[in-house]
Amino acid sequence: MNDITDLKADADLILSSSKSLKMSAQNGSISEYKVSSSQMLGIRVIKDGAVGISYTEAMDKDSLKFMVHQALQNAQSNEANPNEKILDLNGSLSDVASYPEVEVDINVKTKKALELESEVKARDSRVTAVPYNSYSENEFESLYLTSKGRFTNYNDKTYSITSSALLADQGKKAIYYDYCLAHTFNELQWSKVVETSLFHARNILGAKTLPTGKYHVRFSTDSLKDLIECFSNFYSAKSAMDKVNPWASKIGEQVISPDITLEDQPLYSDAYRTSLFDSEGVKRRALTMIKDGTLKSFLHNSVTANHFKTETTGHASRGASSSLNVSGTHFVVSGSNKRPLPPKYMEVIQMDGLHSGANRVTGNFSVAVKGYLWENGQKIMTFGNITLSGNLIELLKNVEVVGEKMEASTDLSFFSVPLMFNDLSIAGS
Amino acid sequence: MQLLQSHIAQDIIGHGLSMGADFVEIYIEKTQNEGFVFKNSRAEDTQSGIIFGIGIRLIYGEQALYGYTNSTDRDELLRITTLLGSRIGKETKTLASVNFEKLIYPKVPTITDREVDAKYKLSFLKKIDERLRADQKVSQVMLNYSKKKQLIEVYNSEGLSATEERPYIRLFHQIVMKDGNLQTEASFGPGAIGGWEFMENLKINENCEMLLKQANTTLYAPPCPAGKMPVIIDNGFGGVIFHEACGHLLETTSVEKKASVFWDKLGEKIAHSALSAVDDGTISGSWGSLSIDDEGMPTQKTNLIENGVLKRFISDRMGEIKTGHKRTGSARRQSYKFAPASRMRNTYIEKGPHELAELIASVANGLYAKKMGGGSVNPATGEFNFSVQEAYLIKDGKITTPVKGATLIGTGPDVMTKISMVGKNLELMAGMCGSVSGSIPTTVGQPCIKVDEILVGGEA
Repeated sequence: MNDITDLKADADLILSSSKSLKMSAQNGSISEYKVSSSQMLGIRVIKDGAVGISYTEAMDKDSLKFMVHQALQNAQSNEANPNEKILDLNGSLSDVASYPEVEVDINVKTKKALELESEVKARDSRVTAVPYNSYSENEFESLYLTSKGRFTNYNDKTYSITSSALLADQGKKAIYYDYCLAHTFNELQWSKVVETSLFHARNILGAKTLPTGKYHVRFSTDSLKDLIECFSNFYSAKSAMDKVNPWASKIGEQVISPDITLEDQPLYSDAYRTSLFDSEGVKRRALTMIKDGTLKSFLHNSVTANHFKTETTGHASRGASSSLNVSGTHFVVSGSNKRPLPPKYMEVIQMDGLHSGANRVTGNFSVAVKGYLWENGQKIMTFGNITLSGNLIELLKNVEVVGEKMEASTDLSFFSVPLMFNDLSIAGS
Repeated sequence: MQLLQSHIAQDIIGHGLSMGADFVEIYIEKTQNEGFVFKNSRAEDTQSGIIFGIGIRLIYGEQALYGYTNSTDRDELLRITTLLGSRIGKETKTLASVNFEKLIYPKVPTITDREVDAKYKLSFLKKIDERLRADQKVSQVMLNYSKKKQLIEVYNSEGLSATEERPYIRLFHQIVMKDGNLQTEASFGPGAIGGWEFMENLKINENCEMLLKQANTTLYAPPCPAGKMPVIIDNGFGGVIFHEACGHLLETTSVEKKASVFWDKLGEKIAHSALSAVDDGTISGSWGSLSIDDEGMPTQKTNLIENGVLKRFISDRMGEIKTGHKRTGSARRQSYKFAPASRMRNTYIEKGPHELAELIASVANGLYAKKMGGGSVNPATGEFNFSVQEAYLIKDGKITTPVKGATLIGTGPDVMTKISMVGKNLELMAGMCGSVSGSIPTTVGQPCIKVDEILVGGEA
């Protein structure tokens, strides 16, 4: 940092480091065991108004000097951007996780990891394999330092387990998998992961197609999270600045149903991990993006805020090797004007192909879905081999609130009241 | 340039063997990345960096243990080896010694590089930007230029010492087009192993016209009708259907877990007799090519399917240990942070006898998928889905109305038997493939093909 300031440049540094352990089972023994430790140092230099980024995983003195040299050279290749500056913040912020950890013997972990396969196999003779199963521990730390004197420190530790059930019967195959995240080993829900995988796989084995037509659709909270987050450019000031946000000129306009409010809540109490500051060292706060259907604000970092002549909302995101972007923390969908459930609707529990079947500029999407058909409060069949198509903007205009209790995604990063989407196109038989 | 001193590699491998491992391997990687995005008619996000790390793999029978670190320190590498070996708890043996022999192998030709300064690169991309913005409806152009040089070394307990330098270059084009409330995008991402000459050889005008035509077509197109129908999938990126619907199911990574519907079908007819397909790591300059794989084995051309019959799986060392299917030089990984796995390289359907017009003429009511988008597959069930970026309806053997928003879904075993006609116009296209060992450069390809029936997702 001293080398940079000597050149009358500004900079910020990110040092990220991680340690992990992962094991998975196959045919009753641990088939994969992986341990790791790695770190990366990244620098963003602003010299004469132009930005250059460089990073390294080699930490010897020569590599660090080369990194600084590269960042300065990259800055020379760019035109000056008056909107991008290192923020004039100083002082320290710390967001260090502290959980009541109990030492767990590696043999206990191994035994439990093996059970992620054996328990699934033991509970149903139609299980042919448990292709995805794993136990993981990940420790992550990120240090941030700017030439203006801002220092932040973030760390976290996560335990996770995954299991799956691949069932075969009478020429049909079905698979489902589930996972669980926890801050401590003892919070992991081993049985839930096994039982959920088996429960849905058994049902999907008997799935049938549905006639092509329009249906009312209720997404599982995980599926709804995937859908809403897939189109995160709609809420991003960076996308608006880059002209790839269809809502770029819609601030103050009603863009979706007046029954719906969408917020980003970094400190949401039910979230897996709260977030105290962003990647520019700005303290986070809750932000209402859409209030009663009206677009109120985008997620901003300091660059987008300068561009749009507003203030950062504390949503800067940047990794050691990437440029400055914006991202949300925990999206919370709330609503009003609760309606009754329609007599017949689809409940989508699995959605495949969103990464390729979604057009982030238009909002159009088309995905393969599986789930349950409900009629008069009864689950009457499991469906599969169908596609669901729509447009996110139209979908959010034609949505009704059908419950009050907030529901959470499995990773506790997305929260929503129960919603019903009307007249979505299904292609099936 | 040596990334890890061979005497340290000897010590680590010897230590792993002394802990009872059947096989020990060290993978060292140093990758120099550079790139920028040309956006808003200027360079943004210029960045460069170095990825460096070492992966150590110990194999005991059918168990693989893997660890990695950024450190070249002997003691740290020994610590990781001990940590891995101690999990198995085998009796330690006398410290074994290994003598390395440098692997000599045929090099897959790469496209020539030459030094070009930043100003020249920017002026080159500016020309493309201007050409695309000549259409007044284009509201944004994003040209993502990336180049990397990956240097790898592999040492193993069989005495292998191998090294390869792999240069990659790619230019991803994306445009956004707007007319009133209508908006659409189109993209294209050619890439190769090699250097700047690849950029100079790009057919800029042709590529720009293709992108603009695609965007202009989809901007005004009505939604695609839904339902089962015959589909003609054109060449090039159309090959993503074989990659997803069949290729992933032929990787021993899935086969070894019986998580592939084809795991027990070797020698059986799994596709229409019109279809033959290969996975070839040796194509000159091609984005998915390698001279040696990430286990240090020279790559090869692997005939996967001949006239509909499954001939070979795509295999790596663990795949061979677990399934008996011989290695095919297909062990690949994104970086040292991943253990190698059997992965595709340049995978394509071979040429057939037909013209595109013959395929179109054979369809009464169906869809012509001129350009495919991405897709995904669940190898365990064979279920896949793909998006179509540019599509037209076919009526009475003729291409008619453009449509947007189509997706294709089905299962690999089913669709492979329904590819009944294969064209002559084979073309390969660069892409990125994500799977167990990370995101890697792969090439997909095919001539035009006819699928007799597939479920098309669209508007009901």
